Amino acid sequence: MVHPGLYAGGDPVTTLDWVVLVGWLLVTIVYGLYKARGSNTTQAYLLAGKSMPWYAIGLSIMATQASAITFISTTGQSYVDGMRFVQFYFGLPLAMVILSMTAVPIFHRADVYTAYEYLGQRFDRRARTLVSLLFLVSRGLGAGVALYAPAVVLSVALGFSERWTTILMGVLVVGYTTMGGVKAVTWSDVQQMLLIFGGLVTALFLAVWNLPADIGLGDAVSIAGAAGRLNAIVTTFDWDDRYNVWSGLIGGMFLALAYFGTDQSQVQRYLTGRSIAQSRLSLLFNAMAKIPMQFFVLFIGTVVFAYYHFEKPPVLFQPADQRKLEAGAEAGAMTGRFDRAFTERRDAARTWLKSRSEADLARYRATQKEVDATRAAAMKQTGAAADTNYIFLHFVTTTMPPGLVGLMIAVIFAAAMSTISGEVNSLATVTIMDLYRPFQANAGDAHLLLASRVATMFWGTYAVVFAGFAGRLGSLIEAVNIVGSLFYGGMLGAFVVAFFMPRVTSAGAFWGVLAGEAAIFYCFLATKISFLWYNVIGALVVIAVAVAVSAVAPAKATDTPSAS
Amino acid sequence: MQPDERLRPHSVDDPPPFLGTWNNVYLAIVLYLALLIAAFGWFTLAFTPVVIR
Repeated sequence: MVHPGLYAGGDPVTTLDWVVLVGWLLVTIVYGLYKARGSNTTQAYLLAGKSMPWYAIGLSIMATQASAITFISTTGQSYVDGMRFVQFYFGLPLAMVILSMTAVPIFHRADVYTAYEYLGQRFDRRARTLVSLLFLVSRGLGAGVALYAPAVVLSVALGFSERWTTILMGVLVVGYTTMGGVKAVTWSDVQQMLLIFGGLVTALFLAVWNLPADIGLGDAVSIAGAAGRLNAIVTTFDWDDRYNVWSGLIGGMFLALAYFGTDQSQVQRYLTGRSIAQSRLSLLFNAMAKIPMQFFVLFIGTVVFAYYHFEKPPVLFQPADQRKLEAGAEAGAMTGRFDRAFTERRDAARTWLKSRSEADLARYRATQKEVDATRAAAMKQTGAAADTNYIFLHFVTTTMPPGLVGLMIAVIFAAAMSTISGEVNSLATVTIMDLYRPFQANAGDAHLLLASRVATMFWGTYAVVFAGFAGRLGSLIEAVNIVGSLFYGGMLGAFVVAFFMPRVTSAGAFWGVLAGEAAIFYCFLATKISFLWYNVIGALVVIAVAVAVSAVAPAKATDTPSAS
Repeated sequence: MQPDERLRPHSVDDPPPFLGTWNNVYLAIVLYLALLIAAFGWFTLAFTPVVIR
């Protein structure tokens, strides 16, 4: 049995789907809280008592990074733009190696709660506070986007409003994060990541299963290749091009260095490791697993792309935009144009699969261009901004049997909850440990524990409120990465000078970070340079200015490190 | 009797469980990345018709 589909006005989710979804939510939350019992000190609540094994940290890091956006938007991205997005992750293994050699042992030996606390030890409170604020701004915005993504799913699939969905999600995540702290977050992440792996395999299997009887996986891959969707490697260098092998290796490495080395949502994961070796192994596990996983997610998108050659999709995947299109004055002309383009493309694809001739390939490509052009015209006509985010969702809800729809929604939920819980937990940790505790010299452990729980609730509420604005940002995966890249360059530069440049003073680090951020915002507002390069540019400017300021303005007595 | 892992100082730098030294593990990761990129390059060339490359 197949769902009647959202687009035919049918009931998208059956009772069985609800049972699967609610059952999974309960199991995950109860399991996380059970594993987190005894988190009644600040160190246990925020760092799990430094007791976590590498596989739990590794899966938690992966789950925190693999947000719902990964499934909603990445599959859609490969549908419209091909697989070249995978190159974005090429720098990640290199960054993991560098961080295993540097940040992991340094942070462990410094015995800190947050990465920014280390900056306080190395420089002073001013540098620590500045970088902490950069983190709170960037991650706070990211948390809102991460919460909005599943709201997209639920509002379409379950018939809820996006507003109520963000509130529901927020209450669930904030509830178990506030009660169980980082241990609940980590062990829930482990479960969620295993579900995600299972869901991915299921999605690919069903995408292939739903192809017509005479079209196999090899044919689907051929079609995607003919349409230029299997462009996993692009070697042409272009500053403006977001995804090529060079921007991935260099820009991606700097972004990963910044994300895993300076973003507390990641650093806090490996600070929970019971030893340096366990923390290193967790990062190196990600170095091995992340790229194949992203390749797999993107590959699912290309198979879905091939599937819609033989099963007519709506002109626009976002139901509200599609309805708007159908109600418009030119509805007949637009849908008629799309129907013709779809039929011609389907026939051209079949013809080319049989002949494999260049002439038929050229004809197929012309029909593909017409389909793309029709969709672009429809998007322009309706003002649709984020149709990419609805492609995978449409596929799931219109092709999968009852129960599996619930499972796939649970997968997207899992990805979202693991990301948001990690982010809210880290935002609370930085707020208390870097901004609150320095001014509460006499605060006892019980006081800080209570303050951490209150801060967790505050950031969860903030994420819910900001999620209300996230829908206007276009492709969600890019929005998150762009927002992160506006701040990571400055943060990365601060840690590079802290780790490797003993002559850099507190004043040098402070002014260097400000200059780096100014350079990044200039690139963002006044140039077309791809966001992947912001981290490189920002970090280099921080280093240059920090070295220069330190040379002309030697350290003063006030530059002594703050007590932590 | 093995000492409780949780009682060990967390800043202890143990050797890796495989390949002998951490530097060998790092080298293996870099080689793995090179292999992945080569495999993706083959994938792109193998499934993208010459006409549109």
